[in-house]
Amino acid sequence: MNAAAEAFLREAAATAANGELHQIVRKGVEHYDAAVERGRARFLDWEAARQRCRKIKREAIDRLDLYLEEFERRVNERGGHVFWAETAEDACRYVTDLAARAGVRTVVKSKSMVSEEIRLNAALETRGIKVWETDLGEFIVQLREEPPFHIVTPAMHLTRRQIAALFREKLGGVQTEDPQELTAVARRELRRAFFSAEMGVTGANFLVADSGAIAITTNEGNARLCSSLPRIHVAIAGIEKVIPRAEDLALLWPVLATAGTGQAITCYNTLVTGPRTASEPDGPEEFHVVLLDNGRSRLLADPEQREVLHCIRCGACLNACPVFRTIGGHAYGTIYSGPIGSVLTPHLRGLAEFQHLSFASSLCGACAVVCPVKIDLPRHLLQNRRNAIAAGLRPAQERTGFRLWRWAMENDRRFTMFGWAARFGWKMARRAGLAGTALDPARRWTKAREMPEIPRHSFRALWRKTHGAG
Amino acid sequence: MAQVENPARERILARIRAATRSVPSSRTAPDARPIFAPVSGPLERFRAECAANATECIVVETASERGRALADLLGGIPEGEIFAQDSPKVRRALALSGTRQIRWSSEGAPSENSQAGVTLAEALVAQTGSVVVSTACGGRGASLVPPVHIVLADTSQLAPDLPAAMETIRRNGTLMACSSVCVITGPSRTADIEKILVLGAHGPRRLVVLISRESD
Ligand code: SF4
Repeated sequence: MNAAAEAFLREAAATAANGELHQIVRKGVEHYDAAVERGRARFLDWEAARQRCRKIKREAIDRLDLYLEEFERRVNERGGHVFWAETAEDACRYVTDLAARAGVRTVVKSKSMVSEEIRLNAALETRGIKVWETDLGEFIVQLREEPPFHIVTPAMHLTRRQIAALFREKLGGVQTEDPQELTAVARRELRRAFFSAEMGVTGANFLVADSGAIAITTNEGNARLCSSLPRIHVAIAGIEKVIPRAEDLALLWPVLATAGTGQAITCYNTLVTGPRTASEPDGPEEFHVVLLDNGRSRLLADPEQREVLHCIRCGACLNACPVFRTIGGHAYGTIYSGPIGSVLTPHLRGLAEFQHLSFASSLCGACAVVCPVKIDLPRHLLQNRRNAIAAGLRPAQERTGFRLWRWAMENDRRFTMFGWAARFGWKMARRAGLAGTALDPARRWTKAREMPEIPRHSFRALWRKTHGAG
Repeated sequence: MAQVENPARERILARIRAATRSVPSSRTAPDARPIFAPVSGPLERFRAECAANATECIVVETASERGRALADLLGGIPEGEIFAQDSPKVRRALALSGTRQIRWSSEGAPSENSQAGVTLAEALVAQTGSVVVSTACGGRGASLVPPVHIVLADTSQLAPDLPAAMETIRRNGTLMACSSVCVITGPSRTADIEKILVLGAHGPRRLVVLISRESD
């Protein structure tokens, strides 16, 4: 087992047993579930909305080259710059070089999972640049020096008491646990950063080809401040974020909001087409868009899994996932967690190191039911599993075990024999005091669970007794 | 230019082309199924949505009544600079507000301590209770930096739904003329601490829309 898989098992076991964490995550998810139910009721036909969104994304992804070129051409026409980055390093280098050239000392950032993916903050910090995360949740996890817990609600795992203690320790003089006052503290702190920063970095929820615009969605308004006040605005987005037309947003915005938080529409849906024009009173002098590949074009070449690039990062599949609800976002050890993270990460960072995540699922299918662009996530988990097995990445005993299982399942006699042997073996093991020891093959399972009493007779024996032979 | 020095562009595009070459065209008949119920009574819907998203919506008959409503509103806002979009309409409306210190968008960006931003809108959206602003509405900061954003509008600007609002923007060439457009729905908010709703996270704590039935 590799280091990532070992860490995953260790962390998952630890958080699965953390009752306090479960309570706060459950509270968050229940709140979300209720809001989404109300949100969906606003649609006449939610299913039709999902289908249309899927179609929009599919149209863009199937002709990605054309739409990206159109987007680039229009951004250039308006005086913006487009940089194509093949890897995370290329993207970081472009931004840090730009910052160094312009003498940037402070960067304000709005929430961007792609910037987490390329580890931009670390790259800027090693060049001596101060980076402020300005989304409240991101600001909190940045102060805690940990990655976001969830792609939409980064501080989902923390109570107000913990946040208050954090502010007291890091910001000083904070005597409140009231969310309103804590928010005001962060606002004051970050306003100073906004007005002193020379560069603002944002993500983009959509790249609009026909208008050469980036579309950014936030509730707090921090992305607007990042793209309005500093002299330079840099937007970083995966190449899969492109959509054909501005009018598509009339559907994508409410769908993203409903799936993401249950809102009818997010508070600020901003379009930026370039730097400030001569007649405008404010806005940045420079506008840069970094288009990140980092494995996406490889995923595009996989006809089975291409649709994973339709993802609009709404976070719905995380909230719906019983595994995410149990082990939380950090245990995954990846930037993207939950079902979409388990599907996507092997493509971005290698199957060998991250195939184990696709096995940590009961394939219950809850994620596919909620996904607003109808990505068949369980199928992709299965395909990742198949690919991992074909590549010989699974342990030998697993293979042997499944071969044996199949062999037994294929034949009535063998099945009966195995059932008997298992019941007998378990009884013997218990009698010999082996249950729970290193020799017990069920130890992993029974460590945290009660093993039910094994009945004396098999189901088949009981059936024969009550229904007769045949 | 950066992209000329950057061969990555060609490599990425080549990979995309190779990956999508064999994808059959996905063009299917347009799906006409209605997704939202059509909006009837746009003004009533707009008011109801505003109530739900914490926008303060005041409807009056005439433009001059709207000016008086603005004066009332500004009367309740602390001393200090008011930032305003420099346009004849806004100047006419603010003429009724007496001696407030006003910084016009023609003089530059709003200062950090502006007490309110007064702007027009590109459109109002009944379906969601949203206000569409562009950089022509006093720039990017006008609707963002001050703690209160006041919008002067009239009922002729009401688009029934988002598709109609996007169509208005397209027709007017707003995205061509302006470097930024924003669909604003309610005051700034966050629920990042225990999912508890807090207004005024980074942007305005109050969003007030003053609508006159008569256009001016
Ligand atoms: S896979 Fe679907 S549900 Fe999950 S984040 Fe992406 S769009 Fe949302």
